Amino acid sequence: MDRSKKESTMARFKKEFTKGLIISNPVFVLVLGLCPTLAVSTSIDNALGMTLAVLIVLLGSNIIISAIGRFVPNITRIPIFIVIIATLVTVVNLLFHANLPDTYESLGIFLPLVVVNCIILGRAEAFASKNSVVYSIADALGITVGFMLALLMLSFIRQVLGTGSLTAFGIHCFTLPVLGEHPISIFILPAGAFLVIGLLMALFKRTGVIKND
Amino acid sequence: MKDKSGFKKAWPIILLTIVVVISVSGLRYIDSITRSKIEAQQEQKIESMLSGMFPKMTQYDYDAEDDIYTIKTDGKKIGYAFIATGQGYGGDIDILVGLEDETTIKSISIISQKETPGLGTRITESPFIDNFNGLKINDAQLSRDDGKVDAITGSTISSRAVVDAVRTTALEKVKLLNSQKEGS
Repeated sequence: MDRSKKESTMARFKKEFTKGLIISNPVFVLVLGLCPTLAVSTSIDNALGMTLAVLIVLLGSNIIISAIGRFVPNITRIPIFIVIIATLVTVVNLLFHANLPDTYESLGIFLPLVVVNCIILGRAEAFASKNSVVYSIADALGITVGFMLALLMLSFIRQVLGTGSLTAFGIHCFTLPVLGEHPISIFILPAGAFLVIGLLMALFKRTGVIKND
Repeated sequence: MKDKSGFKKAWPIILLTIVVVISVSGLRYIDSITRSKIEAQQEQKIESMLSGMFPKMTQYDYDAEDDIYTIKTDGKKIGYAFIATGQGYGGDIDILVGLEDETTIKSISIISQKETPGLGTRITESPFIDNFNGLKINDAQLSRDDGKVDAITGSTISSRAVVDAVRTTALEKVKLLNSQKEGS
């Protein structure tokens, strides 16, 4: 009895985690948080910096909100969630400023703007406020990994097409022969991000990775 | 019964207050442990900017009262620098201004800004920043205001904020420098 319950908890944890990767991928399926996605998917480093920020904030907000969710009356739900999220974002902002100054600089305004990233409030509203702490952790981790996968894909494509070369963690990986001299710079601009997101979404739907409902 | 419903009505307010108090104290704590690190970084950044501006610099003195850096090579004054703050489109713009002497700007660089990416952020980039190299302080106005600085197309507010902050602060600092000289 005990064992089967434990197993089902594990199974549920796994399910809540894996759903964020593909089935409800925040960028390609839920289409949430596109503003930071467009803005920071210009390089692999930025994408990882943003992922780290979202991980800390989303994990923190999901844990706190799932823990206090049932004590929160409906009328003050949104103000309380926003105060919690804004606090976490400010904490991340200060920690990045102190410990990761380069990332802080290149993320610029988009780091404080994680406050209004709809992924965070969306998960708080749709998941954390109705589920237990353990599953909310799984949800936060899954969504963050899904967000990271999407950002990495986008930033890889955009960096390679838009600059003709790839640099990650300050290490120069490769330069393409023709693109290196004539990069398609629109891919570094926001318009290019829309093109890449649209094409990837179409590709995923066509190949059946994302199911049409 | 009456008590209970009163509490029920007040509960949202009480909870919101508790949440706000906890987050404010949490933020104060994080601020206190990161502040010194952030300040040290800012200082380091200014130092490296100063040595970029004045490649011959061997040391500098900082006058905290007037907020002026005096740049020296082997004890000889070669210039001054100070921080000017302008009101940009998205918030404060902090600018490090280097002076060659009391009338001429050596160069400027932007320490921090929150302008619109792709538009206002061009104030940190070469064509605009280069306007200030060797510029007379009184010429630090936009071309349309009879100055010698070309505004960035589409970012007049950001351009004007930088130009005005540089000129007004430079004039203030020069006054301070002159009064220091008379005093000593």
